[in-house]
Amino acid sequence: MTTAPVMTVDAAIVAELEAIMNEPGSVLTGVSSRANRARVPAPFPLHRWAEHMPAVVVLPRTAEQVSEIIKLANRVKIPVVPRAGGTGLNDGAVPLRGGIMVDVKRMNQIHEVDLADRTVTVGPGINMLKLNEELKKYGVFYPDTPASYPCSLVGGRIACSGWSLLGSRFGHTRDLVVSFEIVLPTGEIIRVGDGGGKKVRKSSTGYHLKHLFMGHQGTLGIVTEATLELVPRPEAEFAAFFAFDDFGNAHRTVYGIVTSGIATLAGTVLFDEKKIEYLRRDDEAFIPMPPWVNSIVATALYGTKPEVREASKLLMDLGRKEGGRYTGDEMAVGDWASRHDRYANPLHGRLKDGTVAPMSWHCEDASLNWTVIPKVREEWTAIADRYIDKFGIFDNWGIYCYTNAAYKPWGDYLAEIDIGIWEEKLDDESWAGWVDFKSEIAKVSLKYGGSITACHGSTRAGDAELVSEEMGGGWDVMLKIKRTLDPNNIMNPGKQMLDQAYES
Amino acid sequence: MTFDDSTSPASRAGQDGQLQREFVERWRQNGYNCFSSGHKFCREVCPVTQVTRNENHTPTAFHANIIAMDKDLLDIEDVADDYVHCTQCGACEIRCPNTLFVGDFYQARTETVKVVRAARALMVDKGLDRDGWKLWNRLTNDLKNEPVLGTGDGQPNGQDHVRDWAEGLQIPIGGETIMFVDCEAAFYRTSNTRATAQVLQQAGVEFGLMNEQWCCGGPAAEMGYVEQSRAFAEHNLADWRASGVKRVIAIEPHDYIHFTEDYPAYFGMDFDIEVVQIIELVAELIKNGQLKLERPINKTVTYHDPCRLNKRKGIHEAPRFILNSIPGLIFKDVDHVTQWSYCSGGGGGLPIEKPEITEAISDVRVARAKELDVDMLVSACVWSERPLATAGHKAGIEVADIIELVAESAGIEVGGRRGASDLEAAR
Repeated sequence: MTTAPVMTVDAAIVAELEAIMNEPGSVLTGVSSRANRARVPAPFPLHRWAEHMPAVVVLPRTAEQVSEIIKLANRVKIPVVPRAGGTGLNDGAVPLRGGIMVDVKRMNQIHEVDLADRTVTVGPGINMLKLNEELKKYGVFYPDTPASYPCSLVGGRIACSGWSLLGSRFGHTRDLVVSFEIVLPTGEIIRVGDGGGKKVRKSSTGYHLKHLFMGHQGTLGIVTEATLELVPRPEAEFAAFFAFDDFGNAHRTVYGIVTSGIATLAGTVLFDEKKIEYLRRDDEAFIPMPPWVNSIVATALYGTKPEVREASKLLMDLGRKEGGRYTGDEMAVGDWASRHDRYANPLHGRLKDGTVAPMSWHCEDASLNWTVIPKVREEWTAIADRYIDKFGIFDNWGIYCYTNAAYKPWGDYLAEIDIGIWEEKLDDESWAGWVDFKSEIAKVSLKYGGSITACHGSTRAGDAELVSEEMGGGWDVMLKIKRTLDPNNIMNPGKQMLDQAYES
Repeated sequence: MTFDDSTSPASRAGQDGQLQREFVERWRQNGYNCFSSGHKFCREVCPVTQVTRNENHTPTAFHANIIAMDKDLLDIEDVADDYVHCTQCGACEIRCPNTLFVGDFYQARTETVKVVRAARALMVDKGLDRDGWKLWNRLTNDLKNEPVLGTGDGQPNGQDHVRDWAEGLQIPIGGETIMFVDCEAAFYRTSNTRATAQVLQQAGVEFGLMNEQWCCGGPAAEMGYVEQSRAFAEHNLADWRASGVKRVIAIEPHDYIHFTEDYPAYFGMDFDIEVVQIIELVAELIKNGQLKLERPINKTVTYHDPCRLNKRKGIHEAPRFILNSIPGLIFKDVDHVTQWSYCSGGGGGLPIEKPEITEAISDVRVARAKELDVDMLVSACVWSERPLATAGHKAGIEVADIIELVAESAGIEVGGRRGASDLEAAR
């Protein structure tokens, strides 16, 4: 059963939604409201914009309103797509079959700050930077820091099971969200944690439902409240960047650092040659480096002053051990501080002949083990070269590898190849080419025993078709869960091949 | 249920269609530079987005709409109300990674304010301008000053009253240097204006007033009435030229923007008037000893960075120097970058069309001041002081202009009205 697209809703449905919302300006049917909620920053088939518009947008303030909206949608079988910041690099918040878009940005309250049991309870529409501005006065922070830290919202972080740059020290979204409230596809409002207990981090009761719904991509409900971890604001931060003339040495240096036992290590980032070439395209945006530099290892420590002071000495030794050269304090302080801003800029897009073309950023975000990174890097780069040659609207912005495990820096890495896409020039043929491109990249990750996505989710065309392969026998379990919880396939239908759940 | 997009944009062609096409042609590259970035770092610093939480009102939407028009998905009719939702504070422009890191290199700095103004100009050209703005600008055109005391009959607005504020101050007309008096300052918060004139007099600065002072034309430009704005600019420049004016002291940040950005755009190289910003001038007078601040003000204050000074002109050091120069004053500062996301909601014509949003923005701003446990929120923009003082009245916190404090510390009896701040003082 595939849920039929609903590109317009009739007056009776709008009237019901308005009755539920009971607030002027909270049920939006105008084309501007719909067109402006059709896309996210990930590459978008611009030539098919209209196909991705919701039929109607609602801006709820309470879980009860969300529940009533979903009950209505379930009754009349209209698709429902939740949207928080709309800043994802996957298309979770992009409607594939129109329907009702539930935009949770108005659910941005801080409900409770509990300094005794170390949690903060918020609505899904709050942004982490804004939350941390409020938490600063208590000496605590919520350390979920993706590249979209200044703009993404907590609801989207849960829906994508996000990754945090400081995750190896403080955990990722799934670790930092203690429990959350979610409205199921049939309208019931439930709270999920490890077991029960809104503020309990570890439990053995029942199935661990928090982990089932974490990363739901809007296909299993809508999150309406979350209880988050409060972490002491670190007394000290120490960042250091090391430059290499050889990728192999940089790769080994990462290993040396992450296996050193430094407990304050928040993460490492490995930049490859293409990445450095991309960043060099404008020397305003990157600290100039000698021409011999072809890879970088960036690191950061967070903790108390005595911890960081001692660990920083060890880190400086480890960073230099394989021929790394410390790039200086300016880069250490400045580049780390502005890390969220400078790494994906559309104006750095280049056509093959060097012409500047504004390009959208696509980040193919696999989870890979340390050992396979050099091989995967070679294969990804070769694939990119082929598609760049063939279509002329893509550009290779290089590879980053970030530490990926929670509370420990070793083992696997968020390895991303960043591709620029000149969306303006997309047509059916080049879009199909892009999907193939993406799929080839993802297949390499699977070939080397990795996962096709570390943090964005696997709902996009080019990834979605491979989820069953990655999940193996688990895919069938996923389908059973989906069909049981969402009997009418109303929640974000069309995503991730989940229509298969209804084929019988 | 019929949707407002049921008429296909392509069918709304003709002369109107041509205007929209020209708008798209002019701004589509700006639009696409934002659209292709998609970072959205602008959103949580946008004062309107912070309170409406509606994606239609985001800087990203203002740019994406151009692309959507280009793709025949929507028309200016569909987004006219959306473009009202902007104070033209400029926060989105400076928070944009395109601007921050590469905009200068590629000459592609994000220019949301210009985009919004152009969209509003298109609205005016197509008769889609909002009723409140239409009335406001018609009255401004009739009165030659903005109807800041109200758009009903019988208000002491306009040319007959434009110098009422200066009663007893014996300021000459004309001269090489004139003090340009903003409409809000001339008619509404006259304490600000009197304080400014008296401070300059005490410091020995020679200045006069304009012969026939019309509105600067800036608000008209902000609301899309380009021709009216230009006509006012032409009048003012002619008036200055006729009386030999070489230097204009802008006592208000909105005027300062207009004189330093729009007038040069209108007149090109012919615009040879020096424009002086009052806050920088007063800081200089204090530094060089021409102005002595000796009377203590025993209050705890924080400072509101006016958007047009801080975000659009980078003026944030001079006001802090002034506040730190006032004896007795305890100044609890919030840094100017944090204040990128602060605003009073008073700019860009927003309070005329959407007073409830201005009120919400000011409430948020005043709540942030209140958290600092201060007696007073000090601003340097008369347009911000009305909504802030109204919010302050509700929250129990006084709002004053920085030059009013300077005058007090310099031992000057000011007089004049302080608008909504008088209500608070009377509590």
